[in-house]
Amino acid sequence: MTWEQLIGAGVLAAMLRLATPIALAALGGVIAERSGVVNIALEGCMLVGAFFGVVAADRTHSVVLALAVAMAAGAVLAGVHAVAAIHLRSDQIVSGMALNILALGLTSFLDYQFYGNTGTPADLAAVPDVEIAPLAAVPFIGDVIGHQNTIVWLTVVLVVLIQVFLFRTVPGLRLRAVGEHPRAAETVGIGVRRTRYWAVLASGLLAALGGAYLSLSVAHSFTDGMTGGRGFIGLAAMIFGRWTPIGALVASLVFGYGTALSFSLQGASIGDVRVPVQLLSTLPYVLTILAVAGFVGRSRPPASDGIPYETEGH
Amino acid sequence: MIQTIPLILAGLSVAVAFRTGLFNIGAESQLLVGAVAAGAVGARFGFLPGPILFPIVLVAGIGAGAAWAAIAGYLKAARGVNEVITTIMQNYIVVFVIHWLLQNGPMTAPNALGTPASAPIGDGAVLPIIIPNELVPLTRLHAGIFLAILAVVVFWFVLWRTPLGYELRAVGLGARAAAQAGIDPRVHTVIAMAIAGGFAGLAGMIQVTGVFHRVFDGFSAGYGFDAIAVALLGKNSPIGVVLAALLFGAFARGGSIMQANAGVSAQLVSVIEAIVLFVIAAELIVRILARRRGPKPLEAIA
Repeated sequence: MTWEQLIGAGVLAAMLRLATPIALAALGGVIAERSGVVNIALEGCMLVGAFFGVVAADRTHSVVLALAVAMAAGAVLAGVHAVAAIHLRSDQIVSGMALNILALGLTSFLDYQFYGNTGTPADLAAVPDVEIAPLAAVPFIGDVIGHQNTIVWLTVVLVVLIQVFLFRTVPGLRLRAVGEHPRAAETVGIGVRRTRYWAVLASGLLAALGGAYLSLSVAHSFTDGMTGGRGFIGLAAMIFGRWTPIGALVASLVFGYGTALSFSLQGASIGDVRVPVQLLSTLPYVLTILAVAGFVGRSRPPASDGIPYETEGH
Repeated sequence: MIQTIPLILAGLSVAVAFRTGLFNIGAESQLLVGAVAAGAVGARFGFLPGPILFPIVLVAGIGAGAAWAAIAGYLKAARGVNEVITTIMQNYIVVFVIHWLLQNGPMTAPNALGTPASAPIGDGAVLPIIIPNELVPLTRLHAGIFLAILAVVVFWFVLWRTPLGYELRAVGLGARAAAQAGIDPRVHTVIAMAIAGGFAGLAGMIQVTGVFHRVFDGFSAGYGFDAIAVALLGKNSPIGVVLAALLFGAFARGGSIMQANAGVSAQLVSVIEAIVLFVIAAELIVRILARRRGPKPLEAIA
């Protein structure tokens, strides 16, 4: 085992790449749950984003249009969840899970319809990397952030923007009020349902962007179920990050680092003992369970998270 | 048929949790934990004669699945952690732990399969094949079918013919009302998850003793996830789960036969499966819609 394998530029660059889709899903989770709606359909939103991003990239050959279509697809799926959760006041976990199943079935079905056994086309429009010329020459730093994907940087920007929005602006305060005490929010004239609809739609947009990142920036193709549970890991990052954008980003980086490490330590050994990299990979999940259970730090969800709101007098 | 057996058992696992108002997404990991325990015990004590070895392996598989699932039940009861989150996390943990166990952990064994796998279990623990290939091609139906049928009967008997089952269903129908009636929902949450894990663990144990005789990477073909669809489609009833499992088992079987004989891609089967899942999901949404039109809860009127 060498330092290069532990904190080399390659590992750190991989950490950023691997953390990005998780962070985007986590951001979506933060917005939805801060408004009081649990959205476990994030996984499904990512998947439809990944798929429809590829379809649009194939048809239009435009990256911008592809990302727009991907995010719209995620928002549509999230919209269904919003109607079920907000208007129909159904069980948000069951609705979210049903939509995840739906997304998996729909995308693999359409994937087969559109592309059959040949797989998605090889010449898809890809989201470009950002080459930071002055940095690229700098040793180490250049290797880590000198040529990361556009969406990686976009994610960092989004994290900052949403952090500021939630905690430094009036609409952000209102959104949090709706998630903490909807009745009080309603009393001072905030539209609880409207706020929640916007929040859930935004969560679908963000998760779908994460999915499109996977298919258009990383894999350059779509395969069935390619999100591989990253939407769920994003929820874990959200919880571990205590429902704040920056916390969620840090948690995503921890998860990304764990995965990057398990790649780079493949076959490495300390003395004669091979490093159990696979056990290292379980760390994010164990940490999440401990965090949710309140054993590590204190993670408190918004007070009205997951509770449907009923207007008075109806 | 042999795909149907784990689907029935994992389906029962999800169903028993549903009946108690819990969403067990962890049947997959409980199945794997049961399989690992059965594989480890079966190989370690492989020298024992069958009548002694088999019960030990059986108990190891069921017990391990039950204990693993009970963690989720305990965290829900004592810490208020949503079981969906815990069981999803547990699914990932088990996958990586099994990678470790088989690739460079204590269960790693040299073999000719090419994939990382454990040492084979003792002959005494192997379930006999009751319909060999010579009789009906590609069947390899083993005695595990009897265990599965027994499990279905136990599921029905426990839930509908014992006080415990009555209490579990009462908690599922309304935890607060059950608590008013002197039933502690927290205790029953742990019990229900343990029973659910036991069924899934049995599924894993049967896959080891009846089909593969060892544990290997990629051991479960996602039975625990299909089980959610099986339980939903079967409406959490014993007969329903069996019928739904037969349907999904037929999909899996038909897919590989079509691929082998007719050159039809197994993709087509996943498409059919997807459509069925689609309908199930849609049905769920329809049911949610239908429930909203029903009488409003007292709270809303008051």
